[in-house]
Amino acid sequence: MKELEKLFDRVVQRININLRELDYDVSPFIKNLVPLKQMVKFYAFYGITPHHPLNFEFRHSSLAGSYFLGKIRTSNSILYKSDIRGDELKHRGDILCYQKFEIPVTRDEGIDIEDSILIKTLIHNHSHDPETPEKFFIKNTASTHYANIHGSPADGCFLGPFATVDLTTMRDCVIGDFSYVQAGEIAHLNIGPGTVWVRKPDVFNFLYRYPLEQLNHYIRFAAGKLPRGIIMDFVEARKEAFQQVFDVVHIGPSVPVPRSASLDRYAVVKPKTRISENVLVAQRAYLQNAWLGKGANSQENCYIINSRLEGNNVTAHGAKIIEADLGENIFVGFNSFLQGRPRARLTIGKDSIIMPHTIIDIKKPLTIPEAHLVWGLITDSASLLANSMALEDFSKIDGNLVKSNLSFEGCGASFVSAFRDRIHHILEANGAFFNGAENKGHAQRNQNISFNTMQPYPAGKLRGLYPTIVIQP
Amino acid sequence: MSDYLVKELMVPLSEYATVAEGSTLFDAVLALEKVQEEFDHTKYQHRAVLILDKDKRVIGKLSQLDVLRALEPKDADLDEVKELLQCGFSSKFVRDLRKQRRLLAAPLKDICSKAAKLKVEDFMQAPSEGEIIEQEASLEIAILQLVMGHHLSLLATNGKNIVGILRLTDVFAAVFHTMKECENTL
Repeated sequence: MKELEKLFDRVVQRININLRELDYDVSPFIKNLVPLKQMVKFYAFYGITPHHPLNFEFRHSSLAGSYFLGKIRTSNSILYKSDIRGDELKHRGDILCYQKFEIPVTRDEGIDIEDSILIKTLIHNHSHDPETPEKFFIKNTASTHYANIHGSPADGCFLGPFATVDLTTMRDCVIGDFSYVQAGEIAHLNIGPGTVWVRKPDVFNFLYRYPLEQLNHYIRFAAGKLPRGIIMDFVEARKEAFQQVFDVVHIGPSVPVPRSASLDRYAVVKPKTRISENVLVAQRAYLQNAWLGKGANSQENCYIINSRLEGNNVTAHGAKIIEADLGENIFVGFNSFLQGRPRARLTIGKDSIIMPHTIIDIKKPLTIPEAHLVWGLITDSASLLANSMALEDFSKIDGNLVKSNLSFEGCGASFVSAFRDRIHHILEANGAFFNGAENKGHAQRNQNISFNTMQPYPAGKLRGLYPTIVIQP
Repeated sequence: MSDYLVKELMVPLSEYATVAEGSTLFDAVLALEKVQEEFDHTKYQHRAVLILDKDKRVIGKLSQLDVLRALEPKDADLDEVKELLQCGFSSKFVRDLRKQRRLLAAPLKDICSKAAKLKVEDFMQAPSEGEIIEQEASLEIAILQLVMGHHLSLLATNGKNIVGILRLTDVFAAVFHTMKECENTL
């Protein structure tokens, strides 16, 4: 285990060197977050499909419980129960459009993880950085529980628990717990906990800050301690169900799955769940008494419990929906936590957008009208009024809006249409619009995946590390 | 070189408004009022108060702007401004937001009453390197330091202690006088 300890210390030092300008020491935050002896307990695994490149290279890395799909390289890194999902990487011959540039992609894009520590992190999508169209790099970076690095190359960064960086290249940044950043390119920033920031320079800028005292009930993270709070407790309480799924070698679907839908064998499915056509259920999703209408999806680390989704619903990575009824075409953003109760159900009208990292936690029934934009912390109808707006009204903003903890500047119509376009693209990529012949997406392509497992050295000074493994067609 | 030395133009420390460390802003305002009544032998008034430690050494200067700054909302607001600017919001957005907040804030009387009780050392400016000048220095050097540092006054020393304050207005008067002399001799 000595080599693994040495690797850990070396990566921490590299991150701290990158974050020296922010005077930030990651060591007390990630030391003992996952005891290194855990790294021998879980196997790593990779997917093989006819639809995705098969190109893996693992060197001097620990990969416990992690999943890989596509073209991925890791070196000098520690990954713990992370999902590195390369099913949206660019292919050779693709054209990346950026501003006035049309950038040809000269080789298949790969995810390149170097000198990094990723704990229960999801990496997905592709590099949106026009400077590195063929390489989605994650280096000198640490991320903690349920962080999402989505289309966001990173160098020298630290992500707190439940943080998401989306379509943003980041260098030397700290992203606080439960913060969401989609800003194109950022450097040398320390983003505080509970920040929801979406910016398109010169077009719009959306910034919401959670009241920290209230956010702390849901998620809080202090040096030397594990992440805590209602959301963490919620996830931890369902951990065992996943353990059972991972322990079984051959497992079949426990509910009927239409031919056009995909249910990952590493998802947990509890009784009375219904999966309709074109539905995508990703690995590490948790469904219990969930009714998923045509084209709905449930991505990694999503929980849908005692809820009904009418169809074409996007439940983005890490979102949780409990005791709720959702109309059609509703987007629930990354890591959102929507908690109704048996006698206080949450109803969301069709075509609404629930912003990433929204928390809805109600004690009385609550209805969100259709076609609304919803953000922030909502516990009752008064906070809903303060933290939502009809999309039509939001589209009329041309200038400034300050509403409760939200600051918005720019063009509301562009903001709404950017989200609507993105939602349409996600549904399309997930195969929601498959008609039996055309518009195939993940729901259709990810049906037949074979999984192979990999194991680390079980003992000795290399204990916990994996041997160098190169896997190609 | 000009005929003027700093020591000929400065206001001696003994004639300047001073308060002890630990005084309130109200004490400082009263000291300024008093010195203006006593030493108003030029048409220009004193515009700052010097803060002295227990050994009577100058440790800072409180200007009129510093007093106004004390009326501004504190840390939380400034943190918010910093964050908004860091996140790419325009200066106009931040200005409009602050104006909006100001209109909703407490009436001026209440703000003044609160500010009067605050300590001077929380708002004074400690003398910076470019703000100190030797009392034997020439007017040219004083002009250079005022222009380079955008200062409204300089603190004159005898090598060890601050012994006077050289105000922009006194320097300007000397320059004006020199200009007039030049014109008259032409």
